[in-house]
Amino acid sequence: MLKIDQLVASYGKVRVLHGITLQVKKGALVALIGSNGAGKTTTLRAISGMLRPQSGSVQLGDAEIAGKPAYEIARRGLAHSPEGRRVFPTLPVRDNLELGAYPRLTGARTKGDVAADIERMYELFPRLRERRGQLAGTLSGGEQQMLAMARALMLSPEVLLLDEPSMGLSPKLVEEVFATIARLKAAGITMLLVEQFAAAALEVADFAYVLENGKIALSGEAAKMRDDPAVRAAYLGGGH
Amino acid sequence: MQIFLQLVVSGISVGMIYGVIAFGYQLTFATSKTLNFGQGEALMTGALVGLTTINFLIGNHFGVSVAFILMIPVVLLFGACQGSVVEWLGVRQAIKTKSEAGWIMATIALGIIFKNLAENIWGRDALKFPSPLPEASLDIGGIRIQPMEVAIVIGALLMMLAVEVFNRTSIYGKAVVATSNDRDAAQLMGINTGRVITFSYALSSMTAALAGVLVAPVTLTGASMGAVLGLKAFAVAIIGGLSSGLGVVVGGLILGIVETLTGFYVSTGYKDVPGLVLLLIVLSVKPSGLFGKSAIKKV
Ligand SMILES: Nc1ncnc2c1ncn2[C@@H]1O[C@H](COP(=O)(O)OP(=O)(O)O)[C@@H](O)[C@H]1O
Ligand SMILES: [Mg+2]
Repeated sequence: MLKIDQLVASYGKVRVLHGITLQVKKGALVALIGSNGAGKTTTLRAISGMLRPQSGSVQLGDAEIAGKPAYEIARRGLAHSPEGRRVFPTLPVRDNLELGAYPRLTGARTKGDVAADIERMYELFPRLRERRGQLAGTLSGGEQQMLAMARALMLSPEVLLLDEPSMGLSPKLVEEVFATIARLKAAGITMLLVEQFAAAALEVADFAYVLENGKIALSGEAAKMRDDPAVRAAYLGGGH
Repeated sequence: MQIFLQLVVSGISVGMIYGVIAFGYQLTFATSKTLNFGQGEALMTGALVGLTTINFLIGNHFGVSVAFILMIPVVLLFGACQGSVVEWLGVRQAIKTKSEAGWIMATIALGIIFKNLAENIWGRDALKFPSPLPEASLDIGGIRIQPMEVAIVIGALLMMLAVEVFNRTSIYGKAVVATSNDRDAAQLMGINTGRVITFSYALSSMTAALAGVLVAPVTLTGASMGAVLGLKAFAVAIIGGLSSGLGVVVGGLILGIVETLTGFYVSTGYKDVPGLVLLLIVLSVKPSGLFGKSAIKKV
């Protein structure tokens, strides 16, 4: 569904991604793990068009999307829940969700039943229903994270990119977020998940890539990686 | 007391005009962190295009009131086109290259060009604009009000209300607010933020053009009517808040009232002084951070 080949990206003159190659099959949950500063966020930004890649290919389904503007990539069905949540603070929760479906509401994408999908989001995240009239800027960090995920899902995406959905959350909320991700996977949603909580990510993922200094250092089935003593020592330390 | 009240009432309509122009500054600043320093010229060209249109209609045997109403869509359309051109020629490239000064120089230059064009087409003299309402003042408890002054206040408020309703209820309006909140995140929603910025320029010049034909029957119109209005409204926008809110209406009203008071108690020759002094104060109190530090960086 998503196929990335030799993706290279830079900030100004500093090259951050040195040719990333990875794949996410339809319906799969793929984890992209690695330490702080490895280039995980940059990878997602280069895929969704927030950052224009210098070279390499990004295929969504059969279409080449590398170098296209972010809004066009979103209209083709790639949803990106970005690092730091980035909800729209001066708009109510409900409007944030509606904006997630912007391409559907404006004829750029099959419409479906947007109201029913908002209802489904309220079922998936009951806190959002309670807060639906509240401005997103006044939500707690955990609630904002739920809103960011729900907003991305409102696209009815072909692929969903999630950048550290657990960031800054209490352990209990982290558990909740991972439970939600497992539920989305069961619902058949194709996902690329970036996480620092490597152990938890490998727990839910089918396949995983380890990123190190802008290169893929390791890849394999998540279950195998989880049990590999070398991986455990190098990436799963710290008791997560 | 009677005179004082009279002056306050007279100040309200001109204050509303400042408010509307300042509102126009807000519209583009919200989405792009840039603004059109030719906003006063947008008002002026709108008024002059309106003048030609209304005279044409009157020449074709329409009554003045009907002609005025028929003229408004023409003026709005013209304003929208003019604003789009300003964004296209003056602002888009500066945003792309993150140039901090580019859009300032470009919008000032475009304003001067519009003024020169207007001088060549309509001449340098002030022209009389046909009034759609009776010009005789109404007498309300001893205070005299021109019907057109009431129309200015109502027209200005309706226009701002219309923009607010659009932003709050339609998906396109919400896309404008989303772009103002976070341009990158808005792009991730599939919103073409470049087009939203063009739209906000179009809307901004549209409001200025409408303000132009509202104020023209009370004052006079001419190629030089915009510059001072644009400058004073800029001071109002800085004080009232560039990002949003009704501060600009309050600021505009205060300035309008102070001006009529100055005109009466000091001298009509000094009528423009309070607004320009206000501008100087604003520029000296907030020398570096006129647009807010983070704002400039985000451009
Ligand atoms: N906006 C930016 N400008 C310049 N360098 C950046 C920017 N964002 C990230 N970097 C650098 O790129 C590298 C990768 O960062 P990032 O993709 O955020 O890593 P991760 O998400 O894995 O923590 C880091 O060295 C970081 O300092
Ligand atoms: Mg990151």
